[in-house]
Amino acid sequence: MRSVFVRHRWEPYLWILPSVLLMLIFVVFPIGIVFRLAFSNISRAGVVGDFVGLKNFQDAVSSPAFPQVMLNTLIWVVSVVGLSTLIGFICAMVLNQPFVGRKVARSIMVFPWAASLVIQASVWNYIIKMEYGNLNNILLNLGFLQDPVNWRVSYQVEFIWECAIGIIVTIPFVTFTVLSGLQSIDAAYYEAATVDGAGFWNKLRHVTLPLVKPSLTVSTVLNIIYVFNSFPIIYTITKGAPANKTDTMVTYLYMLAFYDQRKGPATALSVIGFVILCIASGIYMLVTMRKEDGIL
Amino acid sequence: MKKVLSVILALAMFLSLAVVSANAEDITLDVIIAQYGPNTQEWFLGKGMDGSNFVEKFEAANPGIKLNLEVVSWNDLYTVVSTKISNNNAPDILNIDVFADYANEGLLLPVSDYCPEELFKDFFPSFIEQSVIDGTCWAVPDLASARALFYNVDILKEAGIEKAPETWAELEDASQAIIDAFGGEVYPWGIDMTTDEGQAAFAYYTWGNKGGFVDDNGEWALNSDANVEAIEYAIGLVSKGYTNPNPATQTRYDLQDMFAAGKLAMLIAPNQLPTYVADKEGKVNLATAGVPHNEGATSSSVGVMDRIMAFKDDAAPDQAARNEAIGKFLTFFYDPVNYVGWVSMEGFLPAVNSAVGALVESDPSFQAWLDVLGGAKFYPTTKAEWNDVKQGVIDVEQQALTGGNVKELLDALQAKITGK
Amino acid sequence: MIQLPESRTSRIQVTVLVALAMVLTAVLCSLPFLQFSSQIYVKRSPNTFVGDEKYEAAREEVAAKLEEYRAQGIDGAIDEQVIERVNSKNEKTSLVIFTINAANNRNGWAVLTAGLPASGVLITALALGILAWVFTLVSLLKTGGGNTKNAFGIASFVCALASFFLIPVVTLQLNLNLSRSVDLYLAGEEVKGIESLLPALDRFLFGGEAGEQLDTMLGALKYSILPAVMLLLIPAFMTICASVTACRKPLKKTLLRVLLYVSVIGFSLFILYPFFVMFITAFRSNAETTDMHFLHILPTEWRFSNLGDTLDRGVLRYLINSLLIAGGATGIAMLCGIPAAYAMARMNFRGRKIYLGFVIMSQMFSPVVLLVGISRLMNTLHMNDTLMGLMFINAAFNQAFAIWLLRGTFVSISSEMEQAACIDGCSVLGAMIRILLPMAAPGIVTTLIFVFINAWNEYTVSTVLISTTTNRPITVGITQFSSFNMIEWQYLFAAALLATIPVVILFMLIEKHLAAGLTAGGVKG
Repeated sequence: MRSVFVRHRWEPYLWILPSVLLMLIFVVFPIGIVFRLAFSNISRAGVVGDFVGLKNFQDAVSSPAFPQVMLNTLIWVVSVVGLSTLIGFICAMVLNQPFVGRKVARSIMVFPWAASLVIQASVWNYIIKMEYGNLNNILLNLGFLQDPVNWRVSYQVEFIWECAIGIIVTIPFVTFTVLSGLQSIDAAYYEAATVDGAGFWNKLRHVTLPLVKPSLTVSTVLNIIYVFNSFPIIYTITKGAPANKTDTMVTYLYMLAFYDQRKGPATALSVIGFVILCIASGIYMLVTMRKEDGIL
Repeated sequence: MKKVLSVILALAMFLSLAVVSANAEDITLDVIIAQYGPNTQEWFLGKGMDGSNFVEKFEAANPGIKLNLEVVSWNDLYTVVSTKISNNNAPDILNIDVFADYANEGLLLPVSDYCPEELFKDFFPSFIEQSVIDGTCWAVPDLASARALFYNVDILKEAGIEKAPETWAELEDASQAIIDAFGGEVYPWGIDMTTDEGQAAFAYYTWGNKGGFVDDNGEWALNSDANVEAIEYAIGLVSKGYTNPNPATQTRYDLQDMFAAGKLAMLIAPNQLPTYVADKEGKVNLATAGVPHNEGATSSSVGVMDRIMAFKDDAAPDQAARNEAIGKFLTFFYDPVNYVGWVSMEGFLPAVNSAVGALVESDPSFQAWLDVLGGAKFYPTTKAEWNDVKQGVIDVEQQALTGGNVKELLDALQAKITGK
Repeated sequence: MIQLPESRTSRIQVTVLVALAMVLTAVLCSLPFLQFSSQIYVKRSPNTFVGDEKYEAAREEVAAKLEEYRAQGIDGAIDEQVIERVNSKNEKTSLVIFTINAANNRNGWAVLTAGLPASGVLITALALGILAWVFTLVSLLKTGGGNTKNAFGIASFVCALASFFLIPVVTLQLNLNLSRSVDLYLAGEEVKGIESLLPALDRFLFGGEAGEQLDTMLGALKYSILPAVMLLLIPAFMTICASVTACRKPLKKTLLRVLLYVSVIGFSLFILYPFFVMFITAFRSNAETTDMHFLHILPTEWRFSNLGDTLDRGVLRYLINSLLIAGGATGIAMLCGIPAAYAMARMNFRGRKIYLGFVIMSQMFSPVVLLVGISRLMNTLHMNDTLMGLMFINAAFNQAFAIWLLRGTFVSISSEMEQAACIDGCSVLGAMIRILLPMAAPGIVTTLIFVFINAWNEYTVSTVLISTTTNRPITVGITQFSSFNMIEWQYLFAAALLATIPVVILFMLIEKHLAAGLTAGGVKG
């Protein structure tokens, strides 16, 4: 591209070497082990045995809970990523406006993220308990309710809660990535648009969105990956009960590996998840970045 | 590629240098202890043992042996242990509930290899039996608890019930009477079919109906008619509205909290319940009775025990010394001076004779519970498929809660377990 | 007077708004206040058949109760419900429920005029609202609509605003101070000030002869009034809008501004709610964390010692570990990520796309899935049970994000100055450090926060890798509060708060650099 920065052909590789090394050792090596395990017989206690081909994959896919789990995973990823992106985007737009108390508002925004997922999941689990949960306590004390309400009346409702909590804890991530994108937009663009007589929606469509798109794309791809792989919320609140009906793929394979002691199929399932993620984010990136050579 | 590899190797070597190697002459035992209650960690590692702790006292009493002791919560225990085993990094001593898988795969040392004879004789024989597979004992019990029916005397009285229900029919009538008298303010009956401990519910109902996990020959008999009837009965209690609303996610803690608050009239709980209620400052007038059973069957109490086991370590330079060290650990742990404190700290029941005297002296109610435990049935943990069965029956219960057919579900489970 | 069309629109807007507000207020005020009656006594008699001894006894008991009420001046009627069932032994049983319904003819206006503190506020709020309408309409007539500022317009705005804020005050007073106090009082709790409140209530509800029936009556009153009072916020808000429009400000702009603040405050409260729960629960006693009577929002007794107890149980140590891990991970991630991002932004080389794909792919396994692999790796490197190991793992699992974010920042900054520096003989590294990095500060700060927070929150890998208790990070450390025997919610949440605060403080310290992005964005020109 520009000879100024590259004096030798090998120079760029030197620059990326540390990160490549870091990831090779600490990410790729474990991934390799997982791939090997997926094709091996693993005993109940966890001893790794011989190569068994695709048996683990067959076991994993033929389990009766598998279709339900996949459906849940789809609902979970689409609803959490979709809604958190939408709400996070709006939050970022608002937090980018100058107003009194913006600094405080931004600090508040970081809260759901600053507390780890395990903690968030525990506190929400505590909040929605019927018998002593804080939601009932507050609503009863303020006089909005006359009797305690069972907020977890069925597993469908519990799953909706889990998705909602997933959305709440994911919003800050989107907000701050979009916010950092918004901040790098030159005010001159908006001034020009105003001069041209563009209204709010036009500015949003023709100035903000195109300019934020790169950072939004990145955050969405990573968000899909993080949400797909996120497990403390469901694990803390329902553990997939009843009978895997609220499990997503990651919680399901965790239960499979460490409760059911079926580590072979669990590992196979994680490889399946990996492939799904690769395909999904690959397609997403191809669609959204086709025209932007700046990224790819 | 070679360069990359060599760099990786160099980095790895550099990093390995940073690790401090232990004194070669000492034997270090990796110990994993399950976290039973708020005091467990303090007792082993903090200041919970007369201002000192187990590790310090042990190391002072046994020079040359170091303990690398870790207290792990039950939520993470299986994850930690099985990851370590997968990496050939099993702990030397492990405290957990299951053992059959480890024993069957040849990972464990027989107890006779390391446990001093005198100590071995001290264990209750009926407990030791629960850890024997094909004549070899693979683990020793560390503590036990017994389950019985607890009920809120005042609630039952208010509903016009004079004595605790003994049969299932009486239980239903009592539940209806409580519903009538309190109109939904009080749940009559507590059921826990959670992923954490749903197998206990299976035991409570099937054992009260002449059924159970295994038949008289010790073979799996999960789909017996008695079991189907028992589970359908339990699910029926839920669907009739006699129980806590969310049995699949309301754990024993939740039930105990409700009981302590006077919101739950009856539940099957471990012997620590009175202590729990006292901790929650509950003003419940409670009493115990046998677990309700079906007409024609008998009540059987449910015993639960956890175990301590030692893993093989072929890499250890001196096997005899290692075995001896493990033996010393056990001897020190079961020494009444230490063990009585450990058991009573969380209100569990002891597993050795030598501790009984001191415990009963400090709390006479222990004797009654020891008697209950004497007649209690235990899970068939010595059978290789136990873990599958445990997860399987929980799954069946939860499927049934969401409308599944119990008979079909149990048939399918039986077929899966026995491979037929 | 040239902008006639505009003024006409605003005149119509104002008139419509005021009219709507009037109608809504009238409806809301009349609906719930019409009349209410209440169940004042319930007797459930199980195993009772109509006509048997038990039935007669229960009926007599209820009748006696009604006489008692009548003596107190409350008239009512006995209602009887019989439910028949067949029990498990095929015997017929039946449940009889007797209720006494008070024939109470007190309506809402009686409540309002009875001289209670809360009703005084409500009447004031309504009066202010009416005043606001009058002023608005007057200002509309005087100026022909929305062209000049005038005293009436401003006065109407002030009145509308005041009435808007008084309404929630009423609700809180009615619910918290009055009825809740009575509930608590009757539940045997000590309530401050109830002694002085009760006679007033008694006087207005029962003419001073109520005695024990206060709470049931008040409960009915509470639930019938509350929603209406809260809904009054809507007409009050409409009135505000009308008066603002009448004062010449464009309606849309004001609306947007108000909406902005309302939504920011509302959303902030929503976000903070779980932390509020953590906070109040952290200072409750063990028994009160699972109290099922819902008597108090705040702890009855603030147990500040909970915080000390948590610290005694090793939380301080875990916090320091977490700080070290997250700090170390951030450092490593930045050291490896900045050069890589720089190469991606400024250099063209073969394999760029492959490298990018590699970076993204490396994130697709969650650490949960990779536990076995990671743990084996750590064994090989002898980093099991070390903070160092966790630093590297966290750094590696955040590489992708760090590189992406940094690359984006670097690309958005013009490379001309660096090029110039390079031509002047400065090394590429030197140019990056001296020229690019200072300019890229906001992006770097954002990345820093991301990596730090992710590392701070990591849980699963730590549970498996760390076996020495004193090496645990806070996320694993707090699991000791949810043990086999009980969950100690108060300690769990106290520790959770302690774990959250450092991150928030870090964020607040760094936030101004984030904001500096606004100006830095302009630099690229």
